[in-house]
Amino acid sequence: MDFPDNLFPTFFLPGPPGLSDSPGSYLAPAWSDYTQLLKPPQTQHPSVNPQHEASYVTKWGRWRSDTPGPLPFLRPGADPWDPDLTSRDLLFQGRLRHPFGAKATIDVIDQLNQFLRDHGDIAFGPLGKLLQENFNLGEPKKSRKGRTVMNAERLLQDLSGHQPKGCPWAHLSARQRRFSLLGGTVLGEEVEGLLGGLLHEELETRWKELLLDEASTGGALAWVPGAKPHVGQLVYPTGRAYNQLNFQKVKLSPTSEPQALGDPTRILLQGPVRQVVTRTVQEEALVAVRSDHHCAVWQVSRQGHPEPLQVLSTEKGATGISLSPHLPGELAVCSRSGAVCLWSPQDGLQQIHKDPETLVFKDPSSWRWADFTAHPRMLTVADRTGVRLTDVRGPSDCGELLFRVGAEASCQQGERILLAQYLGTSSPLSLSPTLHLICTQFSLYLLDERLPLVPMMKWTHSLMSPPLLAQLLPPPRPGAPLPLLLGGRGGHLRMLHLSGGSGCSPQLVAPPQSLPLLSDSLPGFPVLEPHGQQLLQDRLKAPLTGLTAVVPPSCPSPTMLLFQLSAAGDVFYQRLWLRPDTAAKNADSLQKSNSSADHADDPDLDSHDQTSATPSLDAAPDPGAVSWNPRAAACCRRWLKTLLRVPPALPSWTPPTFSQHYLRWLREEDRGKVREGLQAAMTEGRLLQQGDLGPLPPSDPPPAHEPFGPEDKLTERLEASWEGKGAIWWESQQGGSQVPRKRPSREKRRTQLSSSFSSVRTTSDFSDIDSRHETPSPLHRMSEASQSLELSQEPWARSVPRERRQTLRDYLAVLPSVDSGSCSTPQSQNPSSQTFLSSEPGRCSVPRSQNPTTRTLLSPHPGSSSALCSQNPNSQSLFSPDPGFSSVFHSQSSSIQSLPSRHTPSLAGSQPLKKKPRMGF
Amino acid sequence: MAVSHGHKGINFAQTTSICLNFIQEALLKHQWQRASEFLQHYFQALEDFNSQKRQVALQNIWKLGSAILYHHPKSNVETFNAFADRMKNIGVQNYLKISLQHALYLLHKGMVEEAYRNLNQAESWRYGEMSASQEKIIKLIQAYRGLLDYYTWSKKRTELSKFDMDGFATSAATQDMHSYFRQASVNLHEIIKIPGVWDPFVKSYVEMLEFYGDQDGARQVLTDYAYDNNFPSNPNAHIYLYKFLKKEKAPEDKLISVLKILHQIVPSHKIMLEFHMLLRKSKKEEHQKLGLEVLFAVLDFSGCTENITAWKYLAKYLKQIMMEKHLNWVQEGWSSRKDWWPTFHFSYYLAKKNWKENKILALEKAFTSGILLGKGCKYFMYVSKQGHKVQKKSIKTMKKFVMKHNILDSEEL
Repeated sequence: MDFPDNLFPTFFLPGPPGLSDSPGSYLAPAWSDYTQLLKPPQTQHPSVNPQHEASYVTKWGRWRSDTPGPLPFLRPGADPWDPDLTSRDLLFQGRLRHPFGAKATIDVIDQLNQFLRDHGDIAFGPLGKLLQENFNLGEPKKSRKGRTVMNAERLLQDLSGHQPKGCPWAHLSARQRRFSLLGGTVLGEEVEGLLGGLLHEELETRWKELLLDEASTGGALAWVPGAKPHVGQLVYPTGRAYNQLNFQKVKLSPTSEPQALGDPTRILLQGPVRQVVTRTVQEEALVAVRSDHHCAVWQVSRQGHPEPLQVLSTEKGATGISLSPHLPGELAVCSRSGAVCLWSPQDGLQQIHKDPETLVFKDPSSWRWADFTAHPRMLTVADRTGVRLTDVRGPSDCGELLFRVGAEASCQQGERILLAQYLGTSSPLSLSPTLHLICTQFSLYLLDERLPLVPMMKWTHSLMSPPLLAQLLPPPRPGAPLPLLLGGRGGHLRMLHLSGGSGCSPQLVAPPQSLPLLSDSLPGFPVLEPHGQQLLQDRLKAPLTGLTAVVPPSCPSPTMLLFQLSAAGDVFYQRLWLRPDTAAKNADSLQKSNSSADHADDPDLDSHDQTSATPSLDAAPDPGAVSWNPRAAACCRRWLKTLLRVPPALPSWTPPTFSQHYLRWLREEDRGKVREGLQAAMTEGRLLQQGDLGPLPPSDPPPAHEPFGPEDKLTERLEASWEGKGAIWWESQQGGSQVPRKRPSREKRRTQLSSSFSSVRTTSDFSDIDSRHETPSPLHRMSEASQSLELSQEPWARSVPRERRQTLRDYLAVLPSVDSGSCSTPQSQNPSSQTFLSSEPGRCSVPRSQNPTTRTLLSPHPGSSSALCSQNPNSQSLFSPDPGFSSVFHSQSSSIQSLPSRHTPSLAGSQPLKKKPRMGF
Repeated sequence: MAVSHGHKGINFAQTTSICLNFIQEALLKHQWQRASEFLQHYFQALEDFNSQKRQVALQNIWKLGSAILYHHPKSNVETFNAFADRMKNIGVQNYLKISLQHALYLLHKGMVEEAYRNLNQAESWRYGEMSASQEKIIKLIQAYRGLLDYYTWSKKRTELSKFDMDGFATSAATQDMHSYFRQASVNLHEIIKIPGVWDPFVKSYVEMLEFYGDQDGARQVLTDYAYDNNFPSNPNAHIYLYKFLKKEKAPEDKLISVLKILHQIVPSHKIMLEFHMLLRKSKKEEHQKLGLEVLFAVLDFSGCTENITAWKYLAKYLKQIMMEKHLNWVQEGWSSRKDWWPTFHFSYYLAKKNWKENKILALEKAFTSGILLGKGCKYFMYVSKQGHKVQKKSIKTMKKFVMKHNILDSEEL
């Protein structure tokens, strides 16, 4: 191999990073961005060999996208997604830019309350042990010399009675009162101190995670080329816990859009997939996956079937995995313990390096990374402070540093390595096979392993989020520069154009360019109602967790497909073309059009635009501006339709509505179900919800759980209530959730009738029953009226005198009826509500054809046509082979969709009444 | 850009940072005109009360402004010069840095005289006491000036050799040339004492020294550049030294010792094949043994797997060694490679691929694989089977040799 025979002059002065006056900070290529485009000075006179070269743009053109933003490639998954914690959730500083939209918040007081309730043994246990000597809890006589022993027997007796939790108006005995007054301060202080520490620790880890989520380093989206050049597979994780590995076959074509072929092959894993790596060496395609505590390798056959080879478990957690580009079936894995191993499914593990300390200076991070080099027996071992070249055959602690965070590379203070990647390929058209890419939070470095410590190139990437993804692509044309893609976790993409074969040093040949973000696609979607819009925005702003570019075969003009995976599990793509630049040729047309729509979504930017006094400010056109073509817009619309069918995620701050107390006093038969529910929730990594614990208590459904989107029930209900038609709406909902469009007109007539009917009667009917309800709100009155209508239509109610119906309803509400228990389990509930509906002659206004619709919506059958439902059974069978769990899963998903139709008349009637006592407070 | 009055909460710092983001965004979209318009508004950052922030703003303006002017389709050298001259005089700390970058720009445009004038001006600039870093940068400026002096020197030298001039004119021209040499050598000599990568400076300095017959001085410079531990291990330093010694017709032992160090730093360098030939010719057994290791090491690297010369050398040398019965040399080199070379070089897939793409390479590799892995090796079997149809004779001799000499069978014996 050739070594570049003329390098750019630079100082080499070792020292710590961040010396403001260090001469090392005058590393020539780092001074200014344009100097990186200059070639090192030659020893020949420049006029003999001038560097006047045609610029990159006129020579090769510029990479441009077809559409203004990436397009959705696969349908959104069946699971809802909730945006992660943001810094604003923890800091509460500055003004809120988005006033609406439920954002995750941490309510510390509530959290502490929950903790004290749910984990009372942890919170009070140690203190209890300390005080145990001084309390007699009912043991046979306990008396110690010099100790006051308090008899707590009576106190326990008082407590063992029915004590509603957390109710401030509950009965307190004098003994309890005295105890809490005297002991409260002591108990409180102890627990506060302990909890304060815990909370601080929690906040610290959360904050660290926010600053850098290192788990997704390397990216979880990869491409496996198939046997035919135009077919390949995308490998990526889905599911709420990212524990489903998908192998999706994709057909590429030189001109038209890529096509997903059939459903993906799915593999269920024990943990979340953090990183996916693929390599094809000597026609053997391997896929390596890193999870938190496991690493696994699959071999992909020529037909595209993945076959598992081996699984490795790491106790302390794996941080990086890479596949050898030289030898098939060889991997490098690193773990948090500081160990780096060479792993091959045939020969097992070989430890290469183990050091809990970091390489150059002390850094608390336990992140380690390893990759291969141009020599198949040499590895790079990286941590946050440096990168070392290590020989597999030699002793573990020898080897020289390839890079260190220090003055040699003119690093800043606090700069740390985030990614170290080997860029070598065996292709002769590529760069020298000895190059390594090193990314920090500020800059990008290219290093040649033959000249350690001196970066060949340095570029300040100015990405807002840590760059954790990178990929070098083959040159689009022989002799053309190689595109290097760099992806920040926030979704920002950069493309660099590198040149330099084995004989010359790597160099930028054109100014780097940015590529459209996922959130740039927002204008391509139709405008939605506020919450729908918020959902879409959150979804498009989800962090980028995977990036892979594929070059379709045999294209007439250079092109590439860029696939992106977001944390919400969405796969988007965009097609880039290397096209001749028309703007560069006619530079005169620069000051023409006006493009101010670029930053329309940021209020700050807008205000800035308005206040700036120069009229020519926005006179610069975007020469590469493309508009949304109808096909792209249709693609977006289709995707959005499926997305809106996904039930929204529960807000992450919802406190769990169960406690130890609740778990302990369960009936025997329920216990198994609860356990299953708990297990299911744990595998999915979500909150345990009421639905997991079996029967729903007959309480009112929180309106927030209702889906919005094409059938936005909350809005409908509110609208109806404003118009005074809430009762009718409610009734129509009970008939089935999918009401034909024709219905409202017929409804209208009935509404007028019934409202006039009820408004006449309400006061006279109810005033004598409950004095608190003398002036009920119109909404309330309406619902009551409708109930009275309902009741009167039921067979049993006809025989009851009108004035006694309310009392009866109250009684029914309190009664833990057999009916309600059976109704809340989804299996038995469906038929009951259906039979009720069809057998009731008074309900004839509901068309009979509606019943089957209700059934398909509720039923977990795979035969239903909607995309959402057809995906459920698949994932479910993968999630758990346990039929018991599957029923829980369904009750979960369907409970959200079909809440209104679930309640039997008795329950529905009890709902508003249950609220009554609260109105007094 | 005026500070916004209509909106509460947007202050000076925020507008400045928004503006900076706008400029960066425009640069990344290659919208040079747009970026330049935003830059005009960014000048407000220079009014910051905080002097440190002002300093950063100044650097940003230079960095972004120079990049914009470098790429802007309507920009020309005059605009760039005007911008650079203005920027130099805004802050004291940046004068030298900007001057040097300005000179590099001019040099890139082929305007050597302008660049020279610029560097000269920067060198004579004085403002109070210089900080350590400024002293370093002055050295670098002087070195670049030295390089430009060298350019003139080498131009004069070619002129002198081309035209036949009378005695007087020649001596005047020689003197002129010599004065350039003196100017250049002083500056270049200074910079190469400081640790760093100074390839163009060292090369030009050595060339001038050689011209004036100062071989010892040149050798000293190159030796220091290659062997000073404070310098980064730059492979070029060793190559320059080797080439110099080779031109000087230094003894082979000397050349071998230089390349031996290069072999340790960069075993994959193409000059290693030359090194192998040197070692092979050497009479010492130790050198001959190293000759095999050098070849093995070259072929270890993924960039050299299809280097046909290296394979040819290896096949030939292995044959020679086997005939000379130095079996243990082969075994020694092979022991650290036997677990991965078979898959790396001699797999069935590679046999098919090599045979299809380059038959000569396949034959050389097959011969080597036969010696190293015996006649049962997949690579050997495939190529000999395929080759039998085409080159019956040579395959037969190859097979014969492998049957007799291969390290597998010899181990069994």
